[in-house]
Amino acid sequence: MKILGSKELMVAVIDAGLCTSCGACVSLCPYLRSYDGKTAMLFPCTRTEGRCFAFCPRVEVDLDEASKAVFMKSYDDGPLGRYISVKTARAGSRMKKGNFQAGGTVSSLMTYALEKKIIDTAILTGREGIRAVPRIVTDPDSVVESASSNYTAAPTLSAFNQAVRDGRTRIGVVATPCQALALAQIRSNPMKQKDFTDPTALVAGIFCTWALDYRRFRKLLDGRVDVNAISKMDIPPPPAEKMEIYTKSGKIEIPLSEVRAQVPDGCGYCFDMTAEFADLSVGVHEGSTDSNTLIIRTDRGAAVVDGAVRDGYLEVGDIPRENLEHLKVAAGNKKRRAMDRASSVGLVNSGDDRCAVIRISPASVKGGGR
Amino acid sequence: MSYLFDTNDGARYLLMGNDAIVRGALEAGVGVASAYPGTPSSEIIENLSRAARERNIYVEWSVNEKVAVEVAFAGSLAGLRSICAMKQNGVNVASDFLLHVALSGTRGGMVLVHCDDPGALSSINEGESRHFARMLELPLLEPGDFQEAKDMTAWAFELSEELRSLVMLRSVTRLSHASGNVTIGKLPGTEKRAAFRYDGPLGDPDTGPVVTMPVPKNHLILQEKLKKAREAFEKSPFNTYTGPEKPELLIITSSACNLYSLEAVSLLNAGGRIGVLKLGTTWPLPPELIKKSLARADKILFVEEVLPFTEENVKILAAEMAADIGIKNFYGKNDGTIPMTGEINPDIVVEACAKILGIEYRPMAPEFEAAAQEMIKTLAPVRDLTFCPGCPHRASFWNIHNALAMDNREGFVCGDIGCYTLGFLPCGFNTMKTSHSMGSGIGIASGFGKLGQFGMDQPIVTVCGDSTFFHAAIPALVNAVHNKSDVIFILLDNSGTAMTGFQPHPGTPLDATGQELPDIDPAAVCRSLGATVEYADPFDIDGTQAALLRLLHEGGARVLIMKQMCALSPAKKGKKMFEVRVDEIACIGENCGCNRFCTRIFRCPGLVWDRERGVAVVDEVICAGCGVCASICPSGAIRKTEARA
Repeated sequence: MKILGSKELMVAVIDAGLCTSCGACVSLCPYLRSYDGKTAMLFPCTRTEGRCFAFCPRVEVDLDEASKAVFMKSYDDGPLGRYISVKTARAGSRMKKGNFQAGGTVSSLMTYALEKKIIDTAILTGREGIRAVPRIVTDPDSVVESASSNYTAAPTLSAFNQAVRDGRTRIGVVATPCQALALAQIRSNPMKQKDFTDPTALVAGIFCTWALDYRRFRKLLDGRVDVNAISKMDIPPPPAEKMEIYTKSGKIEIPLSEVRAQVPDGCGYCFDMTAEFADLSVGVHEGSTDSNTLIIRTDRGAAVVDGAVRDGYLEVGDIPRENLEHLKVAAGNKKRRAMDRASSVGLVNSGDDRCAVIRISPASVKGGGR
Repeated sequence: MSYLFDTNDGARYLLMGNDAIVRGALEAGVGVASAYPGTPSSEIIENLSRAARERNIYVEWSVNEKVAVEVAFAGSLAGLRSICAMKQNGVNVASDFLLHVALSGTRGGMVLVHCDDPGALSSINEGESRHFARMLELPLLEPGDFQEAKDMTAWAFELSEELRSLVMLRSVTRLSHASGNVTIGKLPGTEKRAAFRYDGPLGDPDTGPVVTMPVPKNHLILQEKLKKAREAFEKSPFNTYTGPEKPELLIITSSACNLYSLEAVSLLNAGGRIGVLKLGTTWPLPPELIKKSLARADKILFVEEVLPFTEENVKILAAEMAADIGIKNFYGKNDGTIPMTGEINPDIVVEACAKILGIEYRPMAPEFEAAAQEMIKTLAPVRDLTFCPGCPHRASFWNIHNALAMDNREGFVCGDIGCYTLGFLPCGFNTMKTSHSMGSGIGIASGFGKLGQFGMDQPIVTVCGDSTFFHAAIPALVNAVHNKSDVIFILLDNSGTAMTGFQPHPGTPLDATGQELPDIDPAAVCRSLGATVEYADPFDIDGTQAALLRLLHEGGARVLIMKQMCALSPAKKGKKMFEVRVDEIACIGENCGCNRFCTRIFRCPGLVWDRERGVAVVDEVICAGCGVCASICPSGAIRKTEARA
């Protein structure tokens, strides 16, 4: 794995517009800060190697190394990545009702994991207006306060880094695919720190097709809605082609084409729809408003699901085969598009003089996610 | 006994040029003295204030130079002798009023002392104020040594009363701040009466209303005064010639350059070949004296600072006198013999004379000079131009820089002149991007803040100090508020005119002599204009940055007062707020996560990088105990504890 410093990170990621504001480079040092959805370098750091570069999911990501950190195996370039099983899931009877986007699966899993001390800290993403805000949560009853989807990119991993600095050792993270990828790199101990131990105990990934640039989205909504009064946002399934924003005084709709224009360029290079580097991944379940799709990827993920089901925090069911196929097609399409785009501008397996977005075995590039 | 009060006529003192000027004013029985502080002029009013009570003088630190001249002018109109002091930039500020003073004339003797700063040692320009004399049509005196600084100041009052004109007396840094022997004269009595007479006919210089009209008539009177000055200057003992009757080279010089010229002649051992005409009265030039002097030699060298003022004035006379004196070879700034910018020194004069006269001169062997340069490197460490340890400006710029960087819209700071001008350097994190005359930061910002219609969306921040606020920022702030300009105006309030030595200003509760005065609250002034006003303590890093980030989201003219006393303020009595130390185990030094953040980026001189042990340490002698570094250390390794009383 090629590791450089923050100077190169700025050039290859921030200046190139590839940053997804995941927060992996933030809260490690005093140089990089995230504010209002943008990552800023406050002062030049002269180090030639830094964690900021090593953790970033948009530069020099070696997919085999990331995969080994999570699965002890090299990267599986199938549309959904490595997994054990796929199910449907929803909150169980032990869960209080919350402002769930769909089935409340993520909230249920994190509540359970905190309750049973499988994790000592949950890194979640709440919302203030339309701004997604990282949260460090230790009280299981507080998990549901961060329920429901955010559509703006959030520096959630800055809170993760903060929790590590605070000495937390069993951290649970609800992560977007780019964040799960960054976590996989963090877990691979790229800087070869002595006495390193994996600070994560559970990474719950969430499906993601894109997130919005907070500042641009705020500008888009300016004058249309009081962002501080938003109770929920949703993008109904096709052919609706709109975003719905709910406030006490009603609902406003914004054409999806206008919303999509606020997606940062960095999302266009994302090959991962289902958070392939998580222990579990949760997303919409086609045709259902009160259940989720749940992909179980690792043994520790499976153990949490089993426990949560056993103790009534979660209910699971079988996923219809054609729903699974549809999911694979959608995820495969995203992967192919991203690989094509990244390859066409020379950002896959780039030569020595240039930083790559990802490094991947050449066969997988050609396969484009099978 | 202080030179201020000594009545022993003929006693000798080692005096700074500014002190000599003070003594001259005291010997002239000055009644009113006013100034706005500015290096190298500040000691004049400071020392006059020490004599204020005993010598019965009204001494004032005025809000700015223009008002200072107006205050002194009132003294003159009431029949008192008055003096007004300022640095070169001050004359620019005062010039509007000065033009009117020239036209209306004065009553009691009135002297404007303006101290130029060639080389801009303590300035952000080296603008020369002598040219104002020609533009304003006022007589100009330039003392050539310390004794003359005293004598010419005293004489300037007499000249002013004789002409009924303001007299300009020009000093430079190396005269104001260097010292020499001065023999003092008599001190007059201290009884003074002030009254303004206006009941006489218009145009009567002693009893009429004082207005500049009718302008054509008064302008003619002004030129008559200059003619009289010229006549007086023909006989002035302050124009001196040293050298042979017919030198090969005649140096024409004035002010501190007189001393450099005399030294150069001596170094070259060329007293028999070079003559020096030292002019004490440089505007208007006395033509007969010039004619007589030019007739002495065919080669003429001008040595003066900064621009070729006398050089050009003499050349005009020489052209007029060409039929009588013949063609001369002129050397000076116009032909490049003497540099057109910066300070002059004896070496420059030596080099010029040696070149003109073909004298071989080596001030020192080249190998000696090289060895000396090498040795200097080991004796004096390279030091940054930086804020003092514990300076609130470092913390203020830290906060402004970080807020603008996080805001990430390429915001910038417009500033002006003050200690905080260093904000454009690494010690201010290169945050300041424009810096000009006092109060111009807010004026420029007011303009930037109106460029939104052209797509400019960079946040505009401007800073100025508390003394500058009163001096020149208020009209520009009025402009910004009135025109709804989108600016954040940050008042860097360090409770005094710190850069020039803590002179009081309208925001402080004391006058020049330490007596109580009502202080004016800048916040109340800003609020009364309709600006929103908030306070922040720059040492509270998180709170100040949060306030700034919030303000950056708002529109219109916003005022943030960052209040924290100057680290060197006498009011602090050198007391530390905190004892600061580094926990060397917690310090991660050069590692990822810090990379010497405190000593490489924050760079307070109180923090030192111990290269051998790879940790930061606090230099207890230098540390002022502000405790800000404890807030910026990413590892929490810098610990602060309240200092014991």
